[in-house]
Amino acid sequence: MRSKSRFRPLRKGDILIIIFFLFFAFFLPKKKGEKVIISVDKTNDFVYPLNQDREIIVKGKLGEAKVVIREGKVRILDSPCPLKICENKGWISKKGDFIICVPNRIIIRIEGKKYDAITE
Amino acid sequence: MRSLNRIAFLSVFTAASISLFVIESLFSTPIPGIRLGLANIFILLALIFFGLKEALLIGILKSIIGSLILASLLTPAFIFSISGTILSTFIMWLIIKSRLPFSLLGISIAGAEAHIMIQLFIAASIFLPGASFFYISPIYVLSSIITGSVTGFITYLIYSKTGRRYGLCVD
Repeated sequence: MRSKSRFRPLRKGDILIIIFFLFFAFFLPKKKGEKVIISVDKTNDFVYPLNQDREIIVKGKLGEAKVVIREGKVRILDSPCPLKICENKGWISKKGDFIICVPNRIIIRIEGKKYDAITE
Repeated sequence: MRSLNRIAFLSVFTAASISLFVIESLFSTPIPGIRLGLANIFILLALIFFGLKEALLIGILKSIIGSLILASLLTPAFIFSISGTILSTFIMWLIIKSRLPFSLLGISIAGAEAHIMIQLFIAASIFLPGASFFYISPIYVLSSIITGSVTGFITYLIYSKTGRRYGLCVD
């Protein structure tokens, strides 16, 4: 009587849906980034190419932060914020990665060639 | 079903989902935003026993009264909660109606995924445009597989134990 119920756990569809979402979670490949977008206090965006090495001084709300682009990777090298979370995030290089410094109001993110439908 | 019986069951379901929602919100989790989603048990039961309208009613009441209790009405948390509830109820209803070979486990997982997807989408499009929430989704997708199967299994236990006894069962 119980075995006839169509809601009894683990039918074909369940396994399919679990496999689908596992696949979605693990094998979504991260693409290489193309450009670095630095925004301060949500107002102005600075865009830099990722393949040219440079050092940038960004004026945040607390003070000047030093951002380094080197060998296709970005990091915040020096920041006046108290907890230094943004410095400890280290190098980022893949499309969609980001460094956020909340006290200094700086968001650094990496975009690829095309914008996503979601981030558009 | 007799309407008095129906009203009684609907109110018990609503009360149960509200209390589970509130109790669950009091526990902190390692990653913000991840909850077991126990309130979904009663929304899913209402979908099976009654229908879309009743399940949506329970879901919306759960979000509104729950956030009144938690003092989060009309905050982002409330908007996440109510949009996730409505979308996941629709998705679960579609799967139940389509008669695809899904058990309660799969239906619940699909509901949990829909719940987290719409929340990530709203977070990415309204509250923090520009930040790529899409790329932190693997953590949430994985955890909602687990939470979805847990709630789905609990739902099946309740369904199989009580459904026939109270004359609610559909098949």
